[in-house]
Amino acid sequence: MSMPSPQFLEPKSHDPAHLGTDPVPAGPYYREDYFALEREAIFKRSWLQVGHVCELPEPGTFVVRTIEAAGASILITRGRDGVIRAFHNVCTHRGTQLVAETGGKQSSFTCRYHAWTFGSDGALRGAPDLERFYIEAKDCGLIKIAIDQCAGLLFVNLDREPKQSLRAFLGPLAAELEMLPVAKATTFSEYVYEIDANWKLTYDNFQENYHLQFIHPRSGKAAGGPENPFGYPTRYGFHGPHRTQTIWTNPKPAIMPIQGFAFGKGLPFIAADGFAQAPHNRTYFALFPNFFLIGTPTQHFSHSVIPICASKSRGVIRLYWIGDDRIASQRFAREYAMATALDIHSEDRAVIEAGQRGLSSGALSHIHFQSQEVLCRHFFHSVDSAVQAYKAERAGSART
Amino acid sequence: MSAPEHSLPPGFGSLEPFVSAWALEGADNRLRARLASREADRVAFFEAAKDLLPRGLDYLDRKPLAEHSDQDKRLMRLLLGMAHVALAVEIQGDDEPRHAEGARHMTITRAPSDD
Ligand code: FES
Ligand SMILES: [Fe+2]
Repeated sequence: MSMPSPQFLEPKSHDPAHLGTDPVPAGPYYREDYFALEREAIFKRSWLQVGHVCELPEPGTFVVRTIEAAGASILITRGRDGVIRAFHNVCTHRGTQLVAETGGKQSSFTCRYHAWTFGSDGALRGAPDLERFYIEAKDCGLIKIAIDQCAGLLFVNLDREPKQSLRAFLGPLAAELEMLPVAKATTFSEYVYEIDANWKLTYDNFQENYHLQFIHPRSGKAAGGPENPFGYPTRYGFHGPHRTQTIWTNPKPAIMPIQGFAFGKGLPFIAADGFAQAPHNRTYFALFPNFFLIGTPTQHFSHSVIPICASKSRGVIRLYWIGDDRIASQRFAREYAMATALDIHSEDRAVIEAGQRGLSSGALSHIHFQSQEVLCRHFFHSVDSAVQAYKAERAGSART
Repeated sequence: MSAPEHSLPPGFGSLEPFVSAWALEGADNRLRARLASREADRVAFFEAAKDLLPRGLDYLDRKPLAEHSDQDKRLMRLLLGMAHVALAVEIQGDDEPRHAEGARHMTITRAPSDD
């Protein structure tokens, strides 16, 4: 064959991301003290993906999101003015968690303890016997959290004064994300799982193809072929703490009859939405710290790996769709696409947990990444440089 | 409770025996049914439904979803059940029992078909 040799044809021990080739320490994948540093260095100060604007379609709608690694519950509202805002879900009287529901529609929120009532703009609207306090209502609004959106995706930053805007954080990837179907999405399918594994170990599983043929012998059949048995990507990209890969297109995927039929049923709708030949159809985005989004319009899924503690995480996968189901064929195609993605994701769980048991035993001082696991290596470097910077900052402020 | 004799639109009577097990409301319930099923039952449904699937969707596509009758809705749910069962039979085959161990940990929390 005369095609140029993409990287995957000759995996060498070269160093595509200039990250070195050394083994990586195992401790960060299980140690409690390292996780404690990640909470401060990353989850309390990075932009974190928490939802999508389609969850707040009209004024008065709200959602509540828990970010365990920051110990925070976040209330996200769309106000009467149409503006989306985020607040700590904490009553400013004496700290009671304000909203117990996970979402809904209401224009005010009343604390169950002493009935302080807040508007969807966060202002304290009323408090019984307010005149007995030594403060004014205008100073008792809910505590604001920075929130911004890109491609309809909502991101919050728990830093009281974020060091960077969301746009600056995403850099050139922001414009690419805006070109994806998710930017026009109005609804989604969602499935979730919990896993006894560190968030980085879990996340890494979804950014290397080395395991595909072993863990997904059936569901992953179309991912590899004789010219690329591992289904390695054709290209990797590194963008600050974020990374991308370009998924290899198998020229002759093994497709089963109903599988092909279901895929074909979805295509006309993808084409009608204008995404049949979109530029990022083969791009898999990995946004720091814990978010994935795949450009593929037929199975346009995001995956958040949310840390709960050093060795426990929660996964949330969404397939974003434009418009409600129009007819039965589209409904069938969407259900099949979701069930396909779910099948693949569910096959990884057991082996990731086995990895955690091995690492948590402390037997290994280091783990190894080959050149086609370079995204995992880059991820570790991104996390560790945030942790080291935080440690240096803390040491600096202790000295002064 | 067994389904009435003509619970599906005309022309789909051969699928009646599968209605109570597979024409379930809610994507997560359809996933659970697949994961709890026996191989013989999955294969029987798959074999009976695979040739009727294109015709069933063509039939249902003639009306917007909001105008579907109860019979139409039941057929829709049955074909959505087929989406899950097809993955088990056609893709996983004899690996389905092992595969199902992992899939039991996944919960579908939302799908457009739930509305
Ligand atoms: S703690 Fe909320 S009203 Fe008192
Ligand atoms: Fe996998």
